[in-house]
Amino acid sequence: MPRVRCSVLIWAAGCGLLLQAQKKVDFDREIRPILSDNCFQCHGPDEKNRMAGLRLDTREGAFAARGKAKTLAPGDPAESRLFLRISAENKARRMPPPSSGRTLTEPQIALIKRWIQEGADWKVHWSFVAPVRPELPETKNAKWTRNPVDRFVMARLEREGLAPSPEADRATLLRRLTFDLTGLPPTPAETAAFLKDRAPDAYERQVDRLLASPHYGERMAMQWLDLARYADTHGYHIDSHRVMWPWRDWVIRAFNSNMPYDRFTVEQLAGDLLPNATTDQKIATAFQRNHMINFEGGAIAEEYLNEYLVDRVEVTSTVFLGLTMGCARCHDHKYDPISQKEFYSMQAFYNALPEKGLDGNWGNAKPYLQLPTPEQTRLLAEVKSGLKATGAALEESQVKPLQTAWEAMARLAPAPADGLLAHYEFEGSLGDSSGGYRYGRLAKGDVTYGGSPVGRGLVFDQPSQVDFPGLPRLERDRPFTVSFWMRSGSNRAPGVLARVEDAASRRGVEFLLGPNKVLGRLKEGSQLLVRLSHAWPEDAIAIRTRSRLIQGDWYQVTLIYDGGGVASGVRLLLNGQPAEVDVERDALKGSIATEKPWRVGDADIGLPFKGAIDDLRFYARALAGAEVVSLYDREPARAGLVIAEDKRSRDQRERVRDYYMRFGAPDDMRVAWAEQKRLKTLDEELGYEVLNVMVMEDGKPRDTYVLGRGDYQNRKEKVTATTPAVLPPLPKDAPRNRLTLARWIVDPANPLTARVAVNRYWQLYFGTGLVKTVEDFGSQGEPPSHPELLDWLATEFVRTGWDVKAMQRMIVTSATYRQASRISPEMKERDPENRLLARGPRFRLPAEMVRDNALAVSGLIDNRVGGPSVYPYQPPGLWGEVAYGGVFSSQTYGESHGADLYRRSMYTFWKRTASPPSMITFDAPNREKCVARRSVTNTPLQALVTLNDPTYTEASRALAAETLKHGGRATAARIRYAFERTTGRAPSARETAVLSDLLKQQTESYHAAPDKAAALLATGESPVDPSLDQRELAAWTTVASAMLNLDETITKE
Amino acid sequence: MDSITRRHFFGRAATGIGVAALGSLLDQKLYAGGALEGLPHHTPKAKNVIYLFQSGGPSQLDLYDYKPKLKKYQGTDLPDSVRMGQRITGMTSGQSTLPVASSRFSFAQHGKSGAWVSELLPHMAQVVDELSIIKTMHTEAINHDPAITFFQTGFQQPGRPSIGAWVSYGLGSENQNLPSFVVLLAQSSAINIDQPLFSRLWGSGFLPSSHQGVQFRSSGDPVLYLSDPKGIDRGDRRRILDAVGKLNHEHSQAFGDPEIETRISQYEMAYRMQTSVPELMDLSKESQATFEMYGPDSRKPGTYAANCLLARRLVERGVRFVQLYKRGWDQHNDLPRDLALQTKATEQADAALIRDLKQRGLLDQTLVVWGGEFGRTVYCQGRLTETNYGRDHHPRNFTMWMAGAGVKRGTVLGQTDDFCYNIVDKPVHVHDLQATILHLLGVDHKRLTYKYQGRHFRLTDVAGEVVEDVLA
Repeated sequence: MPRVRCSVLIWAAGCGLLLQAQKKVDFDREIRPILSDNCFQCHGPDEKNRMAGLRLDTREGAFAARGKAKTLAPGDPAESRLFLRISAENKARRMPPPSSGRTLTEPQIALIKRWIQEGADWKVHWSFVAPVRPELPETKNAKWTRNPVDRFVMARLEREGLAPSPEADRATLLRRLTFDLTGLPPTPAETAAFLKDRAPDAYERQVDRLLASPHYGERMAMQWLDLARYADTHGYHIDSHRVMWPWRDWVIRAFNSNMPYDRFTVEQLAGDLLPNATTDQKIATAFQRNHMINFEGGAIAEEYLNEYLVDRVEVTSTVFLGLTMGCARCHDHKYDPISQKEFYSMQAFYNALPEKGLDGNWGNAKPYLQLPTPEQTRLLAEVKSGLKATGAALEESQVKPLQTAWEAMARLAPAPADGLLAHYEFEGSLGDSSGGYRYGRLAKGDVTYGGSPVGRGLVFDQPSQVDFPGLPRLERDRPFTVSFWMRSGSNRAPGVLARVEDAASRRGVEFLLGPNKVLGRLKEGSQLLVRLSHAWPEDAIAIRTRSRLIQGDWYQVTLIYDGGGVASGVRLLLNGQPAEVDVERDALKGSIATEKPWRVGDADIGLPFKGAIDDLRFYARALAGAEVVSLYDREPARAGLVIAEDKRSRDQRERVRDYYMRFGAPDDMRVAWAEQKRLKTLDEELGYEVLNVMVMEDGKPRDTYVLGRGDYQNRKEKVTATTPAVLPPLPKDAPRNRLTLARWIVDPANPLTARVAVNRYWQLYFGTGLVKTVEDFGSQGEPPSHPELLDWLATEFVRTGWDVKAMQRMIVTSATYRQASRISPEMKERDPENRLLARGPRFRLPAEMVRDNALAVSGLIDNRVGGPSVYPYQPPGLWGEVAYGGVFSSQTYGESHGADLYRRSMYTFWKRTASPPSMITFDAPNREKCVARRSVTNTPLQALVTLNDPTYTEASRALAAETLKHGGRATAARIRYAFERTTGRAPSARETAVLSDLLKQQTESYHAAPDKAAALLATGESPVDPSLDQRELAAWTTVASAMLNLDETITKE
Repeated sequence: MDSITRRHFFGRAATGIGVAALGSLLDQKLYAGGALEGLPHHTPKAKNVIYLFQSGGPSQLDLYDYKPKLKKYQGTDLPDSVRMGQRITGMTSGQSTLPVASSRFSFAQHGKSGAWVSELLPHMAQVVDELSIIKTMHTEAINHDPAITFFQTGFQQPGRPSIGAWVSYGLGSENQNLPSFVVLLAQSSAINIDQPLFSRLWGSGFLPSSHQGVQFRSSGDPVLYLSDPKGIDRGDRRRILDAVGKLNHEHSQAFGDPEIETRISQYEMAYRMQTSVPELMDLSKESQATFEMYGPDSRKPGTYAANCLLARRLVERGVRFVQLYKRGWDQHNDLPRDLALQTKATEQADAALIRDLKQRGLLDQTLVVWGGEFGRTVYCQGRLTETNYGRDHHPRNFTMWMAGAGVKRGTVLGQTDDFCYNIVDKPVHVHDLQATILHLLGVDHKRLTYKYQGRHFRLTDVAGEVVEDVLA
């Protein structure tokens, strides 16, 4: 059986029993786990699904009278129904039944029998009883123990008849300590200084130095980011970006300033509710906004509002209480005394957040806290006061009567009629309203009529073609004007309007859209192209707008041709203003005449048009600029004015208002209107530019219900905010809000909070918590290996005012921590997981540190603390091959350049649906859910990363260059230099020999093929030092790569 | 912290590999086998699974579930008596009518089984006697993310292991040089809208991360970081690995941590993968006839057709679970045009895969599963015209098929109503399908569990019945 499945049973039945054969059976450690895992499913807290009315998770239940029979008869297994049923020969009577999928082993049955014989002692589950500070145990070996931690560990070792390991050698110890407290390796200078320092407190001073390092906060934050499911994208479906790094910075700052854990907890859960909450305290609450957020089209908001609540309760419960409350979402908890109602009562604390359910399609979801720069603060204030002032000047009660009066009088000058050949209004027909009795003709597909700025327009929502026949031919030497409104709805590159002979020559005139491009801020657009051709492309004029027409927006497009046959005589106006264009061809010599009609959606010359066209006009002359302005300005107003004010669409109302405000209103209002427009644009701009972070806040509370089977559609009983009854009650008078919840969590009376926190610290250093199941302190969790030590640490933590640094110091200055991590064959058999702590910890570095170490020892690392996430090297295409794409953010990966390539891994942009591959390969979670414990695997894919990922190749080259420059002249000295950097210790003679051999062979290899050397050195963006011999550098690069791939290099020893 | 020393990437390793054995590792099947104790629970019918996931929700109405009576109702509002107040997505809940859109494609009966198949599936029609067509699949989700997550992990919300990870965890690997769970993503066709995929769909959830699906990619390195850096040839690589191996071995002697020995062998495995994976991905030795069978796309790496061919090569080599994805089945509009593009890109290869497996005698040991995350509505989304329509998501019934090992050949299971809106007979839930796949692999879905956060989790959550009707 793999070790990962070494559960409570194996631990208790294997290690525990073996070691304590003669001791009285311990209910908490040995019996409850068996009952919990095998019986509670049907005979536990879940009332609705309880079988035979028998409850085994409480004393009352287990000892309740059941007619004549007793479930448990202390001292008498033969009279105990529980024992009779679990040991029944008759399969039909034997418990647990086959349908449960559980079975009891013979040793388990024997253990239960012995427990009953010994009196069937019963205790409340250990973690629900507040810890009492234990006396420090006496140990025979008093010399070894350095602090209280060691007293407990030693006492246990002595009970087991074991001796601790000697202290690790100093270099190893410093490397272990530096990784543990900063996530980075020590520098050779730091190691050398420590090796020289013979003062008795030399080690303690190293601890203090490292606890004061700004990288301490980073290291502690790394664990917290997993728990807080921190990521840079929303996670569901489109998985576009969010901005939460200001919270990550807050976490680092909190650890570095040694914020007490109670405050750390309260601020993250309810900082916004503290009196006079500071910006930092509000940022802290982003903790509960780190969950995934959805905005999938067509999804139902209610469903996701509930998922967010579920996530917040699960996280609160896992992170702070070590409970699996999520199990009570669909029914009462099967193992722990947490009812379904209590689960939803916990939800109620979080159910006042004004959030939308479906949100976040561009960046953060509301509510969020803006974090403007000083300059932005000034601008925001300007916008705010300016909008207030202009708002006052444009009071609706004043504007409206004036506008109404104006509308009654308004006689808008007609659109230019001189030279008008045809005018298609598309108010429900394809007819020409200029008096020419021409009709457009549907040639293919189908069209509809829908709203446009100038009434109704022609909508193309499927591949269709409309012809406009009967217009005079266009000639190269005669002026003409074509004018229309258009809205592009396609994400491909279609033709829009054209009159051309055929697809080959394209003789004629055509309007096309270029390829679509994502413009950011959820917008995409295309350039507009206009061509006048005789024979495309050699005999033609072609112009292209520099700006892009945003998809979905309406544009007034006018093409004016002066009949001169050159590009300078082709004028394109967008919304009445001359468009900036690039002339791509200016070589029209032949005729542009064709007998073919004008067409929209001509499939022969381009992809079918999707979108809408309106107010199509053809003139036999070149319009003047001012005339075009009127087509853009006046025609929409005219279209709006013919409709009664209360019948106008919003767009029509706005266009009429805008026209009135610019041309009809009194001067002071015109000025205010212009100013208001400017401010609104600025405000929108600031809305995108000002940094913000999603935070908690309380709005109007929503009703919270028990949801049958956890389904949002299945509302049952209404509940109010409260905490589970098994834990101490909330203060009577306190308001039922998050702040009360947070303070309740850190109340010293809470039996779980301090234990869960110190246990997780223990896991940081020893790889395994004193309670291995750091996320589950319930009855299915593993009982603590050293219960007294856990309780001592928990009470000490509270006694010191939740002093986090002091707790780290306590652990890392213990003799327990300072032991060597060598494993004897005997201990490998007896205690493979090191639960008895007879040796120091040894395990592979976490994903982030594997990479950070390579960057650090090679000197590439950029050690800046905090800031936005970065994009280190990543194989191309990883995001694109799963992403939705479109206008959304974070759909393709844009690699960083320069120093950002070498930032610590905790700053790598974390996309949930395609997480950083080299991190995931080394067991980092994808951050969709809270993770309290990473698995530690050992796979060939990991080897491929450290051998072939450009990060490591570049680091090898950088380490090689450092070695050649600073490692002396002799090969042995150089090997020693590089080896010390990667492993923290000097190589042995054997090791030096192996590496020298490799160097010799590789030097030959690269001397024989200098091209190969150049190719190897070209990996990575950092410059190659030209003063170094490239072949030598390449050979050393491979030697450095070998060192970076040593087990020891990626392992904390 | 859980340290996985005995069971690794490709299953479970024997313990105590001495470095002296380094050279001989190449021909030892150290990583073969490696099922969990007690697994398989019963004699398996299938050794391998190829799951052809059609992301977006293929329209059952236009492919396999023939509804001739719909012509009569064309354009009329879906009767309330049929809808029965069921929730519909935010994309059509605002429509004033839900007009019935019959399929504009013609259907005919094929094979001995006489199953109705749409004209869009001419190749599949020829292998219809190999299939168990399930017309009565149903799910609980109506949006892509939860629906596809449900199919692949047994739960609508993230956090659970994928089906391939469960299989890898339970049954280990058959091949020492390849992972037991491989994922192939077809390139976007760039014509239809592709709904996104998520790495969680082949993730390991709370299982050890060594069980997550390994993506084999058509561009760049076939497996991430597989190729040696430029300027390092095979000789250089061998020498570097030899040095690393020797030093690690030295260290292992001193430290006694079995993790070090494991790492040594994983480095050797990586070295072997550098040969075995490119060999696998290289289709150049496939016959002309094979390419013709899979269609012209099969010569283009990264296409669905090429991936189907690769899937066969993977199961030939003992890869336990091959998960393919083809996106682009989300026809909210322009269904007649876009669905035709989609079937053109896929159905020949689907049929070829079945034929190819059969020809090579692999179909008896390989289970092939085809289907999406839900079906599509009988009512039109957007404007219904004579020639054009779109369909919204429909979770209440849709079609999938299974073929190969242990599956009844030439059957059609279940009955939907005349509107293709409700199941009339023999519903098959997502968990039932998952239970059936595991069953065919010799696994009792109720007994393949993993304890996490105190609970014994399983793929099928708290439900799932093996679909006896599709078993041979």
